[in-house]
Amino acid sequence: MPATEPTPGPDPALIARIKAAHDGITGQLKQVVVGQEAAVTQILTAMFAGGHCIIQGPPGTAKTLLVSSIGAASGLECKRIQFTPDLMPADISGTEVLEEDRTTGKRITAFVKGPVFTNIVMADEINRTPPKTQAALLEVMQERQVTIGGRTHALPKPFFVLATQINLEQEGTYPLPEAQMDRFMFSVMTGYVNETEEAEIVRRTTSTGHPTLSAVIKGAELIEFAKAIRQVRLPAELGTWIVDLVATSRPTVAGAPDFVKEYIAWGAGLRASQNIALASKSTAAQHGRDTVTADDIRAVTVPVLRHRIGLSFRAEVDKVTVEQVVDRLIAAVPAPGAAQAAKGGR
Amino acid sequence: MATSAASPAATATGAEVVAKIKAGRERILSEVRKVIIGQEQVVDDVITSFFAGGHCLITGVPGLAKTLLIASLGRAMDLNFRRVQFTPDLMPADITGTEVLEEDRTTGKRAMSFRQGPVFTNILLADEINRTPPKTQAALLEAMQEGQVTVAGSTYQLPRPFFVLATQNPIEQEGTYPLPEVQQDRFMFSLIIDYLPREDEVAVINATTGADPEAIAKCIDGADLLAFNEIVRQIPIAEPLLAYAVRLVHGSRPDRPNALPFITENVSWGASVRASHYLVLGAKARAVLAGRPCVGLEDIQTVALPVLRHRIITNFRAESSGIKPDDVVKRLLTDVPLPGSKLAL
Repeated sequence: MPATEPTPGPDPALIARIKAAHDGITGQLKQVVVGQEAAVTQILTAMFAGGHCIIQGPPGTAKTLLVSSIGAASGLECKRIQFTPDLMPADISGTEVLEEDRTTGKRITAFVKGPVFTNIVMADEINRTPPKTQAALLEVMQERQVTIGGRTHALPKPFFVLATQINLEQEGTYPLPEAQMDRFMFSVMTGYVNETEEAEIVRRTTSTGHPTLSAVIKGAELIEFAKAIRQVRLPAELGTWIVDLVATSRPTVAGAPDFVKEYIAWGAGLRASQNIALASKSTAAQHGRDTVTADDIRAVTVPVLRHRIGLSFRAEVDKVTVEQVVDRLIAAVPAPGAAQAAKGGR
Repeated sequence: MATSAASPAATATGAEVVAKIKAGRERILSEVRKVIIGQEQVVDDVITSFFAGGHCLITGVPGLAKTLLIASLGRAMDLNFRRVQFTPDLMPADITGTEVLEEDRTTGKRAMSFRQGPVFTNILLADEINRTPPKTQAALLEAMQEGQVTVAGSTYQLPRPFFVLATQNPIEQEGTYPLPEVQQDRFMFSLIIDYLPREDEVAVINATTGADPEAIAKCIDGADLLAFNEIVRQIPIAEPLLAYAVRLVHGSRPDRPNALPFITENVSWGASVRASHYLVLGAKARAVLAGRPCVGLEDIQTVALPVLRHRIITNFRAESSGIKPDDVVKRLLTDVPLPGSKLAL
């Protein structure tokens, strides 16, 4: 067993502030967004940890409202880009233009910032745009800076991308390749709300008076929060569990369970383990705890693995979903505490 | 005998230089180890190719720290680093650069001026090169080969040193354009990067989701590296070893009269002359990096896999019985007569 390092752990005051911020933002959101609790929790978890999300779901499931409300409640500037088949990389990152200096009359090139220069980018229908433009956004996500004409322009901090993808199959879409999907921490699913919730939405949206959201935190606080979240303790046996969970999703690895070989074409990579670890730390902190538990890991495994596992043709035929496969993975690899209990330990 | 050649580099100054290169490698390794966990073989092979002045093709699933590895090496060697994501709609000009119309500030005249593309750097990470159409792949390969870019009749020199590390995603998918054999041949090494062992993966998640990693210090610079490339070429290789390297490469060709039955059965195309060239150059680099002033048999055998695996094309029969190019290379290493053996011609 590798020795557990005596890590200092996060500042308790900061953890308390993270919990307060989470509760406050969730409270504000309830005023405008009806239902979609899982999506809200996941987006906040990613945002606090400094990760990006891809949001999938049918049209009209409050995706844009969700993102703009999160922006308003967390004091962040939010810009929306509608991705179209004719969008060019420069439409996202910015472009150099020739300008005349008014005092000297000389012409110089000046950089006009693109819409990514903000805190939250809502990249709407990202799979409608050709690959080169998608790659421009993904590069910005990764590097958090834009390099044009040999000059580098840093993006504001914090910086989050919340991209939406239409999951209805249709012509003229360019699905993101696996390697690029891998750069999103979470794949968040929004779904249709139930009848009571839908009635409530109709009541609210057809009446007068719209609640205005107030910012619960300052955007800059999120940078501090993300640092504290990295200091949350991850017990050694849970770290190993995360790695085992992810490794079990790989059908090529010797000793893979039968359902994995049957239903999975390709499994999750190392980024999955990293993101489960970081997101479970974020979940722990939002609940006011300084140590990750197995439940925190269970809560984030589906959104981390959903877009990182490729299902086989067989799974399609048997109508098996990624969520079902991930649930079976969690069941197949017992959590460290559970394994001890089974052996009669404790 | 294999190791008895008297060499010009074995002089006092030669030995000092070799020791300096060995120290350089160790410093670079210890810097890179601050951020990269595991993958010893890949790190070693990439450094060897840098010191030999060759390009690498890396095949592996996403998320195995390829970008981080290359960026860290770039920092340790004080080299510029650029990454290009290859996409189906990338054009040659997106790599090499384009000509734009600009006004001269002093004369007010308009002239064409060249905007350098991302290829103008020391280290270029060409991510998922097989996702881009052949014309764009060819633009990169031309730059690799010539060390220069020609746009609208004018030729522009690339910075030196210049290394390309191209990656390929092994997940078979539609809409990819596999690199033709001739173009793969231009890469010195083909490396395979695989999932980490369990303990290493646990160490990675602890390191990457915790506090920020240490900064990487600069160990050598581009001028040093260019000088080292020259020294690698001055390292002597004994005649029997050179003959062995050539024998390995010839052994991979199925159309020779005395080809091994294993080769005629499983290989449709053997390795080219470039394979012999890189086998010797890679072995020389490896010897220098280990602090030895002349090439040993083990140096050739170690670089045989990365040099030969993308140059040997197995046939349908091999595919159906699960024989991969790596298996062919391993078989050659056991079956081809060693230097000094009576079977060697």
